[in-house]
Amino acid sequence: MKFSWKIGGEAGFGIMTIGLSFSKIATRLGYQIYDYNEYPSLIRGGHNTYEVVVSDQKISAGRWAIDCLVCLNKATFDLDKHRLTPASLVVYDPEEFEPEGNYQKIPVPFKKFKKEWQVQQLMVNTIALGASLALLGGELQFFYDLINQQFGKKGQEVINFNEKLAKVGFDYVQKAFPNQIKPLLIKREASQKLVMVGNDAFSLGAAIADCRFYAAYPMTPSSTVLTTLASWQSQTGMVVRHSEDELAAVNTALGTAFTGVRSAVGTSGGGFALMTEALSFAGIAEIPLVVYLAQRPGPATGMPTWTEQGDLLFAVFAGHGEFPKIILAPGDVEETVILTTKAFDLADIYQTPVIVITDKSLAESHLSLEKSAVQTFISKYKPDYGKIIKRADSLPYLRYQLTPDGISPQLIPGQKGVFYQANSYEHLEDGHTTEDAAARVAQVKKRSQKTVTYLKNHFHAPAVYGDMAQAKAVFVSWGGNKGVIVEAQKILSDQGLATAFIHFTHLFPMDVSQVSALFNSSRRYVLIENNSQAQFGQLLRMQTGIDIKEKILKYDGRPFWPEEIAQYLISQK
Amino acid sequence: MIDSLSFDAYTPTWCPGCGDWSIRIGIKTALTQLGYDPSKVFITFDIGCSGNMNDFLSGYAMHTLHGRAVPSAIGMKIGNHNVKTIVIGGDGGIYGEGGNHFLHACRGNHDVTVIVHDNMVYGLTTGQVAPTAKKGYKSKSTPLGIIEVPLNPLALAVSQGATFVAQAFAGDLNNVIDTVKKGLQHRGFSLINLLQPCVTFNKINTYQYYLKHVYKLPGEYDKSNLKEAMNKALEVNEEKFPLGVLYQAEKPTFHEQLPQLVGNMPLVDRTRYTAFDPLINEFI
Repeated sequence: MKFSWKIGGEAGFGIMTIGLSFSKIATRLGYQIYDYNEYPSLIRGGHNTYEVVVSDQKISAGRWAIDCLVCLNKATFDLDKHRLTPASLVVYDPEEFEPEGNYQKIPVPFKKFKKEWQVQQLMVNTIALGASLALLGGELQFFYDLINQQFGKKGQEVINFNEKLAKVGFDYVQKAFPNQIKPLLIKREASQKLVMVGNDAFSLGAAIADCRFYAAYPMTPSSTVLTTLASWQSQTGMVVRHSEDELAAVNTALGTAFTGVRSAVGTSGGGFALMTEALSFAGIAEIPLVVYLAQRPGPATGMPTWTEQGDLLFAVFAGHGEFPKIILAPGDVEETVILTTKAFDLADIYQTPVIVITDKSLAESHLSLEKSAVQTFISKYKPDYGKIIKRADSLPYLRYQLTPDGISPQLIPGQKGVFYQANSYEHLEDGHTTEDAAARVAQVKKRSQKTVTYLKNHFHAPAVYGDMAQAKAVFVSWGGNKGVIVEAQKILSDQGLATAFIHFTHLFPMDVSQVSALFNSSRRYVLIENNSQAQFGQLLRMQTGIDIKEKILKYDGRPFWPEEIAQYLISQK
Repeated sequence: MIDSLSFDAYTPTWCPGCGDWSIRIGIKTALTQLGYDPSKVFITFDIGCSGNMNDFLSGYAMHTLHGRAVPSAIGMKIGNHNVKTIVIGGDGGIYGEGGNHFLHACRGNHDVTVIVHDNMVYGLTTGQVAPTAKKGYKSKSTPLGIIEVPLNPLALAVSQGATFVAQAFAGDLNNVIDTVKKGLQHRGFSLINLLQPCVTFNKINTYQYYLKHVYKLPGEYDKSNLKEAMNKALEVNEEKFPLGVLYQAEKPTFHEQLPQLVGNMPLVDRTRYTAFDPLINEFI
């Protein structure tokens, strides 16, 4: 079972809030969800949409066909009618427009209700969600529970009023369209789920990993990490700082990291550009730092509220000079929690910057995940601080001591009788500035050795979904495309087309032998990326010599549809 | 025994006669007299002749990027607020490249002492104009004379919420020691603008120039009066340079206003937070 519900209206109508309510009600009713929203870079006017795919199975991407479309304005219908089928339910206000075509039409007099109850447009959402629940066979009580949670602080009167509005929509549909009701949201027994976006997952991962300082300057689509961590700070004790700019954010984080505090910054492409000089500083001074980079389409201001994977090569090459850097790209919300905690460990172990790269479609789309799985992960996780020490055993303490693995013990400042500097200049083992040729070479080699150690100890080969031996084609991709490709594989498998999918998460640096083992000249590989330059393809070729010729690239600001990828393979068969 | 030699590292490489020599002696003397040793201080060094003190003055230190010594120091203070935190930089790094950080640090009343070597010229890059240079100052990068009026660090600090604003002259070591000590003893954001002759590249703002244009604030001067401090700060427009503390106020510092940092337990030493159920329940 799988169906999709979509609501659309003018920006400022409260579409985001009501969409998330639908996702939470569906998971509380025992289903799994994936949701996706589109909104323009402004606060009022423009068009907002929110769509939720619901299933009784694990689901990880959107669905092209819309099974229930709730139109709070005519634009919603006009922009999405090509995704409707004759079986689609279309909820609309007959006072606003009449949808032309063959659909299951559900006219609901929103404007009339709005006048009758003297409510703002924002509250029409509540009526619309009530109507949706009736139409899909859901229970109103689950909506009431959410209303109580949401408005608990505003008092019983507000709660009662919102409950009444929900009931208005619900009752109207039950009475007027009893034959159109589809029993899709019937309560079923299922384990408890969490509904999280990628930004939530990074925030939670950071808190789990003992991150105690986070600094940022707001930038879509990374901003909710800042606001979420800030809302938790009185519980977690994390210091969350909204700095004057990204330069301050990252250099302040290097200051806290110097004192031994796990620290992170978050931003999108433009802010990341401002941070790159400091990445280079972290590289030579060997200061642990985690950077959360949520991509959006550039260049420059680009399309702020849309998605793209266009900053990968920029991230790989960010920072002047040569220094070790690790780039991790989670594929979904669950992987974001896990890889974020790993990023903090790796930053400490290798005393260098680690970038967690996502994109808008992962950062701001909700996915349901097992609460118990998250709890189990939390209870098992133990931070690995590497060679960060509270006491130097042998004196004199050498901050940049030459070691076989390239990693020197990093003393948390405070030990009496000891001191050292974290130096942005090239330095001797004791931290003092040097321009000596031999000392320079020794320190460059030491820093480079950390990459060798990482590839040996912490690099993870990509996961493979499907059977490579049986596959007619092997998809190759990274990051947030994972969910879409896994869903595409299901569609193709239903049509008798076996495929495999190589999903990269540890993008840079890459171990040649582990990756090469997955590539064989007799197989058909198809690279899938949300950018125009096949940046991961270039990175793979640069690091391993593997060159994938066949590519599906999308760079219109929208994520892939599973159907789009499936159709490509079917038409190319 | 702790004496000022404890802070010594390499022999400085500054030009003979450079004002930085006495500033360094002033800083290490002030620190020693106040009972600090290199294990008890955080220092960030900016880039430039002033920042090169990184190898001549010991401490738990960061030799930061150019312009970023202030934000890095703010981070150090947040990470361990029990440690005295000092920023050492020049007019280019603190007022030019890092100007935005400087004014926001004043606003935040971060508990750091910022010591700025103000020589009105860029020494390490061989003599280009600095933001504090007088309008019309001719340099390699402004052969026709600088068009902009000089940045006024004292007025900027006073107006943006700094709670300690002082000026000292490198040609008067006792004045340097005394002012740095007062700055270090202050709780909150303290700025010490240090007039420092660059003997190699600035032939106008020399020791002789300053001896003519500086004067000590009188004993009866009321440093708690913000408007009076502003008046004093603006005297630079008449080429008068008051020495001493222009402004001082008692206000809660940035870290004192963070409930997470209340008390003596620094962020770095706290136990790890592990009660995650209330957080994840928000996502149900």
